[in-house]
Amino acid sequence: MCGNTSPETKWVQESPSKHFIGWVQGCEEVSKIREGEPMRCKTCGSRVLYKMRTKRMVQFEAR
Amino acid sequence: MAGTTEPVRPKPKPKAAPRGARSRAPAAPSKLSHVTTVDSQPEEALPAEDVAMEDAEASGPSKDHASPERSHRRKPAKVKEEFAALLEPFYYGKALHDPINTAEDKWNLLPAFLKVKGLVKQHVDSYNHLMDLGLKEIVKANKIVRSDFNPKFMLEYTDIRVDFPNRQDEEGMGSHHRSSITPNECRLRDMTYSAPVVVDVQYTRGNHLVKRNNIQIARLPIMLKSNKCVLAGKNDRDMAYMDECPLDPGGYFIVRGQEKVILIQEQLNKNRVIVESAKGIMQASVTSSTHERRTKSYVIQKKGLMYLRHNTLSEEVPIVFALKALGLRSDKEILLMVAGDDSAYQDSFQVNFEACSRENINCQEKALEYIGHRVKLTKKPPGAYRIRNYHVEAIECLSSVILPHVGATESDFRAKAIYVAHMARRVIMAVHDPSLVDDRDYVGNKRLELSGQMMALLFEDHFKRFNTDFKVSIDKVLKKQNRAQEFDAYTHFSVHKNHITLGVERALATGNWSLKRFKMERAGVTHVLSRLSYIAALGMMTRISSQFEKTRKVSGPRALQPSQFGMLCTSDTPEGEACGLVKNLALMTHVTTEGEEEPIRDCIAALGAEDICGHNGASIHREGMFSVYLNGTPIAITDDPKGFLNNFRKLRRRGRISEFTSIHINQDYNAVHVATDEGRICRPLIVVENGRSKVTSRYLQALRKGTMQFEDFLTRGLVEYVDVNEENDAHIAIYEREMTKHTTHLEIEPFTILGAVAGLIPYPHHNQSPRNTYQCAMGKQAIGAIGYNQFKRIDTLLYIMVYPQKPMVKTRTIELVKYDKLPAGQAATVAVMSYSGYDIEDALILNKSSVDRGFGRCQVFKKNAVLLKNYTNGSSDGLNGGFDQSVAANHALGIDGIAQVGTTLGQGDAMYIKNTPADIAPGTVSTRSIDKPVKHKSPDPVIIDKVCVTEHEASGAKTIKILTRQTRRPELGDKFSSRHGQKGVVGLISPGEDMPFNDQGINPDIIMNPHGFPSRMTVGKMMELLAGKAGVLSGEFGYGTAFGGSKVEDMADLLLKHGFSYSGKDYLTSGITGEALQFYVFFGPIYYQKLKHMVMDKMHSRARGPRAILTRQPTEGRARDGGLRLGEMERDCLIAYGASQLLLERLMISSDAHNVDICEKCGQMGYSGWCGVCGSEKHVRGLVMPYAAKLLIQELGSMNVRVKVGLEDEFEGMM
Repeated sequence: MCGNTSPETKWVQESPSKHFIGWVQGCEEVSKIREGEPMRCKTCGSRVLYKMRTKRMVQFEAR
Repeated sequence: MAGTTEPVRPKPKPKAAPRGARSRAPAAPSKLSHVTTVDSQPEEALPAEDVAMEDAEASGPSKDHASPERSHRRKPAKVKEEFAALLEPFYYGKALHDPINTAEDKWNLLPAFLKVKGLVKQHVDSYNHLMDLGLKEIVKANKIVRSDFNPKFMLEYTDIRVDFPNRQDEEGMGSHHRSSITPNECRLRDMTYSAPVVVDVQYTRGNHLVKRNNIQIARLPIMLKSNKCVLAGKNDRDMAYMDECPLDPGGYFIVRGQEKVILIQEQLNKNRVIVESAKGIMQASVTSSTHERRTKSYVIQKKGLMYLRHNTLSEEVPIVFALKALGLRSDKEILLMVAGDDSAYQDSFQVNFEACSRENINCQEKALEYIGHRVKLTKKPPGAYRIRNYHVEAIECLSSVILPHVGATESDFRAKAIYVAHMARRVIMAVHDPSLVDDRDYVGNKRLELSGQMMALLFEDHFKRFNTDFKVSIDKVLKKQNRAQEFDAYTHFSVHKNHITLGVERALATGNWSLKRFKMERAGVTHVLSRLSYIAALGMMTRISSQFEKTRKVSGPRALQPSQFGMLCTSDTPEGEACGLVKNLALMTHVTTEGEEEPIRDCIAALGAEDICGHNGASIHREGMFSVYLNGTPIAITDDPKGFLNNFRKLRRRGRISEFTSIHINQDYNAVHVATDEGRICRPLIVVENGRSKVTSRYLQALRKGTMQFEDFLTRGLVEYVDVNEENDAHIAIYEREMTKHTTHLEIEPFTILGAVAGLIPYPHHNQSPRNTYQCAMGKQAIGAIGYNQFKRIDTLLYIMVYPQKPMVKTRTIELVKYDKLPAGQAATVAVMSYSGYDIEDALILNKSSVDRGFGRCQVFKKNAVLLKNYTNGSSDGLNGGFDQSVAANHALGIDGIAQVGTTLGQGDAMYIKNTPADIAPGTVSTRSIDKPVKHKSPDPVIIDKVCVTEHEASGAKTIKILTRQTRRPELGDKFSSRHGQKGVVGLISPGEDMPFNDQGINPDIIMNPHGFPSRMTVGKMMELLAGKAGVLSGEFGYGTAFGGSKVEDMADLLLKHGFSYSGKDYLTSGITGEALQFYVFFGPIYYQKLKHMVMDKMHSRARGPRAILTRQPTEGRARDGGLRLGEMERDCLIAYGASQLLLERLMISSDAHNVDICEKCGQMGYSGWCGVCGSEKHVRGLVMPYAAKLLIQELGSMNVRVKVGLEDEFEGMM
């Protein structure tokens, strides 16, 4: 999340192997962070990363 | 009118147009036209105030809203100047050429004041004072460290500085490196927002003097918006980049991710004489506080004799001995010094001289001897018994332990003698005239301790400990005579650096201030900043807590003090046990920071007051002679106090001395008091000279034009700060028309006697006072907007209103604290009438259609945090263990084992699956791991709003924060409240079709029962409705400012003009029958707040469920799915009624019934039909008893108390 605003760094699950977390980063580009690597966005240096929104269809109840 | 505001700031606006305006081009003309319509509107013959109000709205939006929006689209370089316009205090559309009426417009000073001082600025000021000066002074007072073993060794601190905040891993990158750290990153990553503190030292290494600069000794938490904070001086755009809200008050710390506020502490003032009487004893006490020491000294009068009392003296010393020891030579000198030439005082003091002949103490030597014998030794001299030198000990004690704040050199105790004599005199005077006993609750006798001072205490304590630790560790090395290499103290220096950091951080995180040196142990100093609503956070920053015990039943400290007028809010205090002990600052107050004494001392001398040490008692207490006290210590005398005071004030008004210096005359004691100390509450007042206000329309014009700032008003002597003591000495007119030739000051605005929270109430001066107090408590629970960055935050619990609205009836305070930008409530159309029976006892009827359209809708965000620990054996927690995707409860999970963002979780659905290694002991290798799903518990579904991953700063452990969201529409039982302490729960949500409607087809959103009015006497609420209704009809906001606001008569005229009844009552038609209602209904908009108490969080029921392990009784509380307790009183009812079987069922069968086998013969418990004691099964009988009773028997048994159960036949007689 760029340490600042809007484009949020996000991660998505990639390979389901056990100790591997794939990270996708939403500040323009996508980068992955593997197990053992520091939690930082490689593009903007932000240390706070967000998970990407699901691609699944979600339905909300409008009441 | 509004259009003409343009020339005021001609530059920024036209420049802004090309970029910003293009996208909103269609919007612009409409805005303009709106403005012009207002402009061309025929002016009604309204009083000036209402015109002002109309103007306010005309240009308010164009100035306050258009510019920030535009500024976002602009290049940063230009933003600054443009933003400056936004920072400007706003004067609500008053254009330059508008006539200025000083009587009406002097309140313009208030926004100018709030720009530089007030609200939370005192926190920031006090913290800045600590950072810039306080730390340096603390270090200066403890600057040299020496070794006990090597006299040559010396380390000296030459300077201390606080760098800018950075991350821990950025340490050592040099002070030129500016970190990109932001406060919000600290919140999200659970870090402490802190900055390195560096010192310059010089020390001896061998025979050299080594200098080292920029050695880090600690990290100190940084207060937000202080001058060290990255947010200082940033504009809106920069703030947005840093995910920070520009309206956030600042003034708090972020410690381990939590926002912590150091509440203002109220204390009795230091270094001042307070005369008290209790049980026939009259005493004058002083709490002396210096950097070195904090002690309390007393002069008491018991049975007509006076003594000096102090903790280090084993018994009370007759006052005459003390004065003799302090160097007053003759009895006559003492007598004159204490009693002056007043024969009544002399007579009552005379008896004290008898002690001299009794003890045969006639000279200073003997008096010192006498005192020296009574000095308690603080520490035993090491080793052999030392012969005490009483003389030296007495001098030591008198010079540095007793009244240490009074300056005294080893040889000259004159100042101290005068001080002690002055204390004695105060006691004698109070004995003769009991009205001279001081009032401890008088606000002028109080000092407020702000966060800077609290931090200073903390840092000082830890710094001293750091130095002693450092000394101990170098002593260990220096003790050894022969060393292999040259000793460099620097290697020992960095070892202890974490102690200060951790100590300060821990104190802030827990709120426990434990200072060894002052034997101070205070809990609850810090609180987590309440982010329920913007106003809750703001209210917390102005809160003052006093040190009084809550349990004590004295009404004095809780009562409203007349002296708190204008300083402390009269309405904002909690109900219940803390009532009157927790207070709030009023809107226009400032708390002073420490001012320099030295220039004031020079100034007093320059003004012709003579040094008091050069005078004897006769001249000090001569008729018409006044002593001049500087911070409670007599330093000079003058025979023309009035002239002295006037000259002094003149100097202050010219800005030659600090504007926070106060001076006043106390006629009772013939004293002129000058104060420069910290923690006094003060407020600005307009100076009046010769019956004329110094602030004239010319100056107000300049203020509006921006050529003058608030500071200029101070330096020109038009406005001055006045503290409580000085206020008591002034003659203050509230309105210009009330000024007489005796008037010295003019109030800026009367509504500033209320605080920020009470300021939200419209027409508070028409309400019954407790209602305002209730509203102050409820305003902090209202759900609304928290800040512009509310969606960037991950709080444990966050309530946000979906469609918050500005109140229709505003107050000046609302605008000044910018509540209208972060509101918490909605303007509901209210019909005051009875409707069905579901509105009794304050219940409200809600319109279902309004609820459907979003009335009272709110969102609840909750945080679930997971910490993935790293263990010592190299294994660590994980998340993405292979889980079964076919299990329904896992439907929301992604492959990483965390719920997908945007999915809905029902009850029992897994939020994440945590994977913990089975072996975590050091040395073992973990091969297996255990998957443990964490499920969503509550029955109401939540949506995953955000999932955030960060690493812990130090340990590198990952923290995953899952934010869940719920959108809630109002339901039966949700709590709502207007701004007048009128709370109620929703009793019925009625279909919109059934609601009554007026001839325009308007439905009410809320129907309120009229029975709420007569006993509550909240006339302000009715006036709010009227002003709101008039405002809605005329397209403007109403004003309900305290002691002002739109007048009912004018509102009635407006209503009439728009074809409504002047009384605010409308003709309504029943929505159910279609018939006209037989009465007119009071109908109009009232601002309603939704309070955080919602049924969904409280509703609870249970039939069967979990039981506590130990007692096997049902668990307690909603969180544990607990049972509903049949309590003592309910039990009493059943007993009284004789429902024994019901009682048995409730208390045993449905609770903790247990089958036990009891041996009839021995009365002990057996098992399986066998008695272990008797060794037989012959007499064993089975029976049911509460498990708790069985437990009691066994627990008593474990303590060697045998409990025998006697059995008998229930139906004996019948057998």
